[in-house]
Amino acid sequence: MPYISVNGVRKTYEGRQGPVEAVSSANFTVEAGEFVSILGPSGCGKSTVLMMLAALEKPSAGSIAIDGAPMTSPRRDVGLIFQDATLLPWLSVLDNVLFPVRIMKRDMAAHRAKALELLEMVGLKDFRDHRPAQLSGGMRQRAAICRALVHDPHLLLMDEPFSALDAITRDEMNLVLLNIWQKYHKTGIFITHSIREAVMLSDRVLVMTRRPSTIVSDITIPFSRPRDPDIGDSAEFNAICRTLRHQIEAGHRHEREAA
Amino acid sequence: MSDAQVRQDLMGASPQGRRRVRRSWPFPERIVLPILTPVVLLLIWQWAIGYFNVPPSLLPAPTVVFERLQETFPLLIGHAWPTTVESVLSFALATVFGVGLAILTVYWRLFAISMYPTIIFFQLIPKIALAPLFIVWLGIDMPSRLAFAVFISFFPVVIATETGLRSTPPDMLRLCTALTATGWQVFTSVRLPYAIPHIFSGMKIAVTFAIIGVIVGEFISAQKGLGYIIIFASSQADTALILAAIFLLCVIGLALFGLVALAERLARRRYGFA
Repeated sequence: MPYISVNGVRKTYEGRQGPVEAVSSANFTVEAGEFVSILGPSGCGKSTVLMMLAALEKPSAGSIAIDGAPMTSPRRDVGLIFQDATLLPWLSVLDNVLFPVRIMKRDMAAHRAKALELLEMVGLKDFRDHRPAQLSGGMRQRAAICRALVHDPHLLLMDEPFSALDAITRDEMNLVLLNIWQKYHKTGIFITHSIREAVMLSDRVLVMTRRPSTIVSDITIPFSRPRDPDIGDSAEFNAICRTLRHQIEAGHRHEREAA
Repeated sequence: MSDAQVRQDLMGASPQGRRRVRRSWPFPERIVLPILTPVVLLLIWQWAIGYFNVPPSLLPAPTVVFERLQETFPLLIGHAWPTTVESVLSFALATVFGVGLAILTVYWRLFAISMYPTIIFFQLIPKIALAPLFIVWLGIDMPSRLAFAVFISFFPVVIATETGLRSTPPDMLRLCTALTATGWQVFTSVRLPYAIPHIFSGMKIAVTFAIIGVIVGEFISAQKGLGYIIIFASSQADTALILAAIFLLCVIGLALFGLVALAERLARRRYGFA
């Protein structure tokens, strides 16, 4: 049985001019330990899919099950990363990383060691007593990654976590994430609109289109792990990117014809 | 070549000259100018009193006011004390009351819907006009002045706190929900700290309103306080004493406002908003 199964999920919001369809239909499964990207243009409903996976939004129709249990309320074995780091400005980096532990009232002392290990892994150990305002955007997002991992969740949900960062920092963050994946073996859903980022990080890429906002293809990325970032220069990598780009463009054409 | 161009070329040609002007200005201008303005105004006042032969009962010269302040200083300090204490007390009460009301309106929708129009209505009537009613209801002692000063000053705290409590980034609230945080945890460790800068901006307005409320209360009922001194002095046509009392009031107001502003700076630094 797959770890995550999304069956016929639809989401409509009540807008001022009648219902607005955010997600028409989503069907996919994710195996435990897989890293799956949902790739699509902005406004295609990919973030809504993620919010439903986190049980922060309720599907209007269809069902989501994680680990065999229907997803009706937030689970504690899920870690979330947003586009902005959303750290609390009055807490040190370390205390921000430990925030989930405090909320869940778990053993602080035991998790402190875990938090420091994570901070060291992302190169923030020397900044553990700094405030978020003293860090760069990339450093803040690294702290947010540590916070998402500190309570050892099975599933990591990432909503365009690097799209607010500059290109160089973004490449750096991809490396950080690849390393984390190598070390901690999580299951991950990664929302992005960057084709290269999706191919670099994922085991599978799901392409989502607008109108209808649905998943149009499911492509397996053949590169083995651990991955060297240099695979980005290989012909095979670029061929996959081209295929994905064509699928997104086909979606655009389809949308224009429908309009 | 146009004049503007010539000027531009000249300035470009002598950057040293420009720099000298800039370097000598910023520091003194921030300190000297704010002091210079009142000093000049006082000098004009002093000069005009003599020049136009204004009688002291109408407007005494600053030097006369200062002399009167020195003569009556022990008396004035005795009256400044209750005014200060009552201002501080009513400001503290207004803050607690305002923050409490804001929390209720944010967390209890029915309360917000049922109370808000009434609260707004009371803001629209000239509140000073209600001061005599407080005397009728609560008597002429401190409780009635405190109640009136709280009544006049709590509203900015409500509005500011409410804005603050609603200013938490939505993703932060989503994260809390995803972590299955309780409402109390979200309130104490996220929403309230996020509201702190807003609460302080409400408090800065409330502190000045609280002083106004206490003075108005003293105008109509008190047997002591600077408001009482002002009314008493005006019945004696002692304009210099009125102005001396007002001067002391300004000092008290500045000191209280300064303390709130200082507390705000410390809190902002403590909470990482600076």
